[in-house]
Amino acid sequence: MNHRTAPLDLRERLAVDEPGPVLRKLVAGAEVDEAVLISTCNRVEVVVLTRELEAARLRLHSLFRRDLAPDGVGLGEPDLESCLYEYQNGDAMRHVLRVASSLDSMVVGEPQILGQAKDAYRAAVECGAAGPILGRLFQHAFATAKRVRSETRIAERPVSVARVAVDLAAQIFESFAEKRALLVGAGEMIELALRALRSAGLESISIANRTAERAARLAVQFGATAHGQDELPALLADADVVLTSIGGHEPWLTRAVAERALRSRRGRPMFVIDIGVPRNADPAIDALGDVYRYDLDDLAAIANENAEERRQEQARAEVIVEAEQQRFDGWFAALRAVPTIRQLRARVEAIRAGEVDKVLPRLALDDAARDAIDALTRAIVNKILHAPLSRLREEAEREEGIAHLETTRLLFALDAPDGDDGTGGDDPERA
Amino acid sequence: MGWLGYLTAGLYLLASLAAGAGFTLARPVMLRAAIAVLAAGAVAHGAMFALMHSAQPAPPLTDLPSALSFMAWVGTLAFLALAWRARLTGLVALVAPMSCLGVAAAVFSTPAATALPGEAPGAGSLPHAHVLLASAGLALLGLAGLAGLSFLVEHRRLKSKRPLAGVASWPSLEALDRAGAFAVAAGFPLLTIGVVTGSLWERATSGAFFSGNPHETFCLIAWAIYGVLAAVRFGARQPAVRCALTSIAGFAFLGLAVLGVGFFA
Repeated sequence: MNHRTAPLDLRERLAVDEPGPVLRKLVAGAEVDEAVLISTCNRVEVVVLTRELEAARLRLHSLFRRDLAPDGVGLGEPDLESCLYEYQNGDAMRHVLRVASSLDSMVVGEPQILGQAKDAYRAAVECGAAGPILGRLFQHAFATAKRVRSETRIAERPVSVARVAVDLAAQIFESFAEKRALLVGAGEMIELALRALRSAGLESISIANRTAERAARLAVQFGATAHGQDELPALLADADVVLTSIGGHEPWLTRAVAERALRSRRGRPMFVIDIGVPRNADPAIDALGDVYRYDLDDLAAIANENAEERRQEQARAEVIVEAEQQRFDGWFAALRAVPTIRQLRARVEAIRAGEVDKVLPRLALDDAARDAIDALTRAIVNKILHAPLSRLREEAEREEGIAHLETTRLLFALDAPDGDDGTGGDDPERA
Repeated sequence: MGWLGYLTAGLYLLASLAAGAGFTLARPVMLRAAIAVLAAGAVAHGAMFALMHSAQPAPPLTDLPSALSFMAWVGTLAFLALAWRARLTGLVALVAPMSCLGVAAAVFSTPAATALPGEAPGAGSLPHAHVLLASAGLALLGLAGLAGLSFLVEHRRLKSKRPLAGVASWPSLEALDRAGAFAVAAGFPLLTIGVVTGSLWERATSGAFFSGNPHETFCLIAWAIYGVLAAVRFGARQPAVRCALTSIAGFAFLGLAVLGVGFFA
C-alpha cells in the first residue's frame, strides 16, 4: 500500500522499523522464496519471489492483516481490497524500478526514497530474506534510479516552498556558514523552513515570537536563540535571511523599518521570505536595492513551475524505466534456460566420462597420455556445446524461446528417467 | 603565434561551445568540462608566450593583437583562480568567449594594421612592461566588468521574481560581488603601474611624461575615474548593485580609452 491507496493513519500503523523479524518469518514458510520489505512514511510494500502465487498472496494478506501491526490488528477485510495493490512479473519489476527512481513518490523526484530502498534491501540481505533474484532486481533498480537522476532533470529543481526558499537564498549567498537567519513566528511553516535552512548549512538562527515559550521550544530543538518581538529591529540589522510568518493585518516589515536596518548593514544584501498570510513584509521594500523579498505566492509560483518541469521530465524517466525493465525481464526470462542447460551439460558429461572410462583401460597409456585424452574429450564437448547453449540462453529471453527449450529437452531426452537417456547405451548403431 | 596559437584558440572555442551548451541546457557537468578545457587552453596559451619569449630576439608584444592575447591569458588565469576558490562555474559562459576573441584577434590579425606606437631607442624594456602591466590590469578590470554584468542580470531576475535559480550553476550574487572586488583590487594597482611605466616610456621617447595625445589623455582620465571608483568601493562600502554598475561603466570607459582611442588614433 502507498500514499495513493491508504490514508496516513493506516500507513503509520503498519510501518515497520525493524523488518528483519517480519522477513525471516515470511521466508521461513514455503510460500515465499525471497522477500524485501520497503517501509517509509509513504508506503509499506513487500516485494517477494514465489513459485506459488495463490499461497503467497494469502500469506501476504495475513501479513497486512495481522503481522505488520504491533498490536496484531492490521487491515480489515474492506481495507485489504481498497488499500492493497499487487503487481506480478514484469509489472512488479517495473514497479520496483519506478519506486527506486522516485517516479511513484508523493513528490516525484524526491531523493530520499532511493536511500530508503537501499536500506530495505540491506536489511533483507542481512536477515537472509533477499536471494540472488531479488538481489539482482534491486541492484538493477538502484542503477536505473541513478540513470534517471543523471539523464533527466527530474530532481534538479525543488518543489516545496521551503526548498525553493533555500534555493533562492543560494542564489544570493555563496555560503550559509557565516550567515545569520531571523525567524519571526514559530508556526509549522516556520519549522519546515527552519529544517530546510538547517540542512543547507545555516547555523546562526534567531527566533522571535509573540509567545516566548513556543519560540524557546523551537530554539532548543534547533540550537537557535529565542527572542521577544520587541528585539526585532536589532535582530533585523544583523539578519541575512529573514523568514517571517506571524498573524496581524499590517505588515511589520515596512520600508522604514527595512531602511533603518540596511543602514547598518553597509551594503550586505538581505533575503526576506514572507510566508505569512496576510503578508508580513510590505512589497514597497522591493524598491530597496539590497533587499530581495519573496512572499508565499512568489515561492508557490516557482514551486509550481518546477513541479511542471518535473512532470515533463517524468515522461523521459518512464522511457528509461521501461527500457531497463525490459533488460531485466530478459535476464529473468533467460533463467528459464538454466535447468535445461545444466541438465544437458550433465548428460553430455556423463556420456563423455563413461566412454572415456570404457576406452582407457583397453589402452596401455601412462598418466600423462590419459590426462591428455581426458582434456581432449572435454574440450571437444565444450566446443560443440558452446554455440547451442549460448543460443539457447539468448532465445530463452524471448517468449518464443520456450519452444526451443522444449525441443532441446525432447531431442536430448532430458525429461527421461535416469538410465533411459536415449543414447543407446553401448550400442553405437543405436546412438 | 604558430600552431600553439591555433591550439589555444581552438581550446578556448571548444570551452565557449561547451559552456554555451551547458548554460542553455542547464547541465553543470558541461560547465565544469568547459572550465577544464579553458584551463587546458590557458596552459597552451602560457606555452605560446613562453615559446615567443624564448625566441631571439624576443618579440616586444607591444602590438595590439599581442596585447589582446595577453589580456585574454591573464583574464583566463584570474578567472580560473577565482573559480577555484569561489562558486563561479556559470561565469565560464562569459569568460570563455572573451578569451577566445582575445586570442583569435592575435592569431588572425595582420600586425601592420593594428600596431601601437613604435619603440624608441633608449626606452629599454619600458614598452614591454607598460603593455604587459596595463594589459594585465585591463584583463582583471574586464573580469570585474563581466562579474558586474552577471551580477546585474541575476539581481534583476531575483527582483522580478524570475531567478536563474538552479539554472546551470549560475554564481550567487555574493560570489559575483566578491569576484568583482578581487578583480578591482588586483587590477587597479597593475593598471596604475602600467600608466606609470607608460609615462616613463613617453619621457624616454619625447622627453616629457605626458605628450597630450588622445590615447594618453583618455587613459589618464579613465585611470582617474577608476581610481575614484576603487576608492569609493573599498573606502566606503557601497551597495553591491552600485559596485557592479561602476565596474561595468569603469571598464567600458577604460576599454574605450585604451583600446578604442589607441586603435583608431
